[in-house]
Formats: sequence, structure tokens, C-alpha cells
Amino acid sequence: MSFLNIDHVSKTYGAGAQATLALDTVSIKADLGEFICLLGLSGCGKSTLLQIISGLEEPSTGQVLVGDEPIHGKTHPSASVVFQDHGLFPWMDVTANVAFNLKARGVGRAERTRKALDYIQMVGLSGFEKKYPHQLSGGMRQRVGIARALSTGPKLLLMDEPFGALDAQTRTTMQNELLRLWERLTATVVFVTHGIDEAVMLADRVVVMSPRPGRVRQIFDINLPRPRDPTSPEFMALVREMLVAIHDDMRLLNMP
Amino acid sequence: MAKSSIIGLVPLVVLVLIWQVAHQSGIYSTALFPSPAEVYAVFVDEFGDLARHAQASIGRVVMGVSVAFVLAVPAGLLIGRFPALDLLFDWSIQIFRSFPVIALIPLAILFFGIGERPAIVLITVAAFWPLLISTIFGVKSVDRTLLKVAKASGASERLVLTDILLPSALPAILTGLRLALGSGWLTVVAAEMMAVKSGLGYLIMYAQVIFRPDLIFSGILIIGGIGLLFDQIVRQARALLCRWQDGLVASS
Repeated sequence: MSFLNIDHVSKTYGAGAQATLALDTVSIKADLGEFICLLGLSGCGKSTLLQIISGLEEPSTGQVLVGDEPIHGKTHPSASVVFQDHGLFPWMDVTANVAFNLKARGVGRAERTRKALDYIQMVGLSGFEKKYPHQLSGGMRQRVGIARALSTGPKLLLMDEPFGALDAQTRTTMQNELLRLWERLTATVVFVTHGIDEAVMLADRVVVMSPRPGRVRQIFDINLPRPRDPTSPEFMALVREMLVAIHDDMRLLNMP
Repeated sequence: MAKSSIIGLVPLVVLVLIWQVAHQSGIYSTALFPSPAEVYAVFVDEFGDLARHAQASIGRVVMGVSVAFVLAVPAGLLIGRFPALDLLFDWSIQIFRSFPVIALIPLAILFFGIGERPAIVLITVAAFWPLLISTIFGVKSVDRTLLKVAKASGASERLVLTDILLPSALPAILTGLRLALGSGWLTVVAAEMMAVKSGLGYLIMYAQVIFRPDLIFSGILIIGGIGLLFDQIVRQARALLCRWQDGLVASS
């Protein structure tokens, strides 16, 4: 039995003539500890799907099961979300931000501060405990976001283009950091991205989605050993295959 | 900060000079139009009286605005948070906040007689609306992502109110407090002219009756000075409490 079961999920926005189908019967299964990337162009419904998995949105039909429990309008207690624009509270320092998810779960002050400090160290932000988000760089902010998400010991980590706003170099660093953290956990990761390189670099499996309506076009298993070399022929071949899968018409890309 | 304070004095000094020139030129009867020096003499000679009246006015404003704050901020947090409440109260708020509080003075005197109570009730009413509206605005303009973060973390509604909506709305609430002190101050002077027998409003009316234009001038100047003082206090509080905003917004 899969740990995460996305079972015939569809999502329609609006009603009547204005109704748009954002997701069309999407089914994906993932085991505990698997790293899944949802890859596609904008409008393919990958972020919508992540919102549905996280319980922040309801599917129109179908359901999402986490460890056999259906998700309904509430985030599963063993799931954590990392947001695209980091979603840090600007009036809280790094420690309070990281401790927030624990506070929300009723963990006492001493215990949550101790845990927060552990995770701050884990993401390499020791020395920044008392800083406020506006005093941090983009990469550091997202480290805080990741520390906050990991602090509750999630079995399901949902990440919505977390490195989308970072420069290329910081993004590469953060990808490596994320893999390092993930290897220490037993957690399924669902990672939304529009970067093919990013998906091939990170995932065990890449789910390529196509837009309007959002559908699963093709699923790729990435069997390359980690750490992966983005300049290796195997890596580049996968990138190329996915490019083909993403775009309906090769001529649009001017590729031979 | 220090620099801008000194620059802020320049127009005031110029105004006093113009005042002095106007007084000396004799364009208006000097019996009705005192010189700066005569008004200054009032400050020195009748300091005790002036201080007593000023204290009475300040006490009423602080009391009335405090009551308004305690009522308006929780109400604003709830109305801003729940769209159903917003829908329910929106029209009423727009109607009630449009009443000039000065128009309510006769009613307040009828209901509460002459004394502290009508004055404080009127200030509370005057200060309530800007605080309420600012709080609602502050809550509504919270970053949606932060509410998603809260929901995904499983935070209770109470935690959302205390840890997210309140700090997020705090800058707007303090702006509301500045407006509330301003309208509270306008109201106290008006109320004291009719409904109370003490305070700066009463002093100014009394000075007219006993034909003391110099006293009227000094009363008005004290009102302006205290208005400035209140505003500075709230600004300092805002700078202290909302330091997290540094670098997020241009300083006001």
C-alpha cells in the first residue's frame, strides 16, 4: 500500500460556461521515503495538485490519501509545507519562525525552542537565531522555511517551487542541502518545479504534467546515483527526454 | 530624527515673527490681538491654571481613547477575520462613522447631564471609528500566504488571531490610534465648550466671556502642542513595536 495515494483527483474552478478544468483525473502513488517531482509549464496544475495534497484546497472529485487517511480541508498532521515565497512571519525572529509549527501543535515553549535551535543548526543558520526575515538573504529565508517544515518531523514534505525565486548558484546549493537533509529523514517529498534540471537533479521519480487541463503526461524513473552530475550524458539524455515530453510540438522549440 | 525636529521648528518661528509684525503694524486692534510676548506672559503668570485645565483635557482624551481602543481592536480583529461579520456590519460602520461627533453633544448632555461622563462618552465614540476601521483594514491586508502557512501548520483560530493577525495589523492599528487621538482631541475641546466646567475647551470659552484674547491664544497653543506630543508618542511606540517593518516599507 502506497504511503501517498492521489486517486483520480480532478479540480474545476468556477461553474457553468466559465468553468475551467485545472486538473483532470490525476492519479499518482508514492512510497514512504520517495522523492517525487511534479514538473510542468505554468498552468499544468502542479501547484493546484500540491495545494490539494496539503489540504489547503479541496478536490472537485477524487481524493488524496496519506497513510490511508483521506485529506479533507485540513493538512495531515504528519505533513509539512514549504511555500514558494518562503511564507515567513516578518515580525518573528528566525527562532520564533522555526518554532511556529511546533507552537501550533501545542508543544511547550522550552521544548519548541530547543527543537527550533536544533533545526536552525541543521539547515546551517547557527548565529542567525535572533535575526528577522528582512535581514536574511533569499536562500537563508528558504532555509528557515525548510527548518520550520522539518521541525515537526514530517513524513510528507510538500514543496511548492521553493527555490524558484533564488539565483542559479544559491539554487544549486539549496538542492544539495535539501538532498542531504532528506537522506537523514524518512519522508516522502513532493516537490513542484518548472525546472527540468532541478527535477532530474532531485527526484526518484518525475511526474511530467501537461497544461489545460492539467494531466499526467508521463512518469520518469530516475535511477542515476546521487550525487548526480548535471553534465553527464545520462543526465542530459533525461533532460532531453523530458523536454520532449513537456512540449507537444518539437518544432516549437526549434529542435532538430 | 534630531535634525528633522529642528527643521520642523522653522515654519513655527516664521509664524511667530509674522504674528509679531502683524501685531506691531496695528492692522487690528491690539486690545483684541495680543502680541507673542503677552501670550507668553500668560503661560508664565497663569501656568498653574493652564496646567490644571490641560490635565483635565488630557485625562479625558486618554480615558476616552483607551475605552475606544479596548472595544475597537478586538471588534476589528473579528470583523476583519470573518467575512460574514464584515458583510453584516459594513453598512452600519459607514453610517455611524459619518456622524460628526460634535452633532451628538446636545444628545450627550441630555442623556448624561453636564460633567465628565458626556465628554468621555463622546471621545470614546469619536475615537472608536478610526480605530475600528484601521484594525479591520490591517487584518484584511494580511499576507494570504501567511494564513496558508498557519492553516498548513494546524494553528488554532486563536493562535491565528494572536500570533498572525494582531502583529500583522499592528502598524495599521497604531495609525488608527494616531487618528483616534486626533479626533478625540478635537472632540474634547468641543465637548468642554458645552458639557463640562473644566478643561482647555472650557477655558477658551470662559476667556471669551471675560474678554481675555491672550488667554484664548494660549489655550489654543497648548492644544496644538499637546496634539504634537500625542502624535510623537504614538510614532515612537510604532517605531519600537514595528521594528520588523524596517526594510519592508519606506518609513513614514
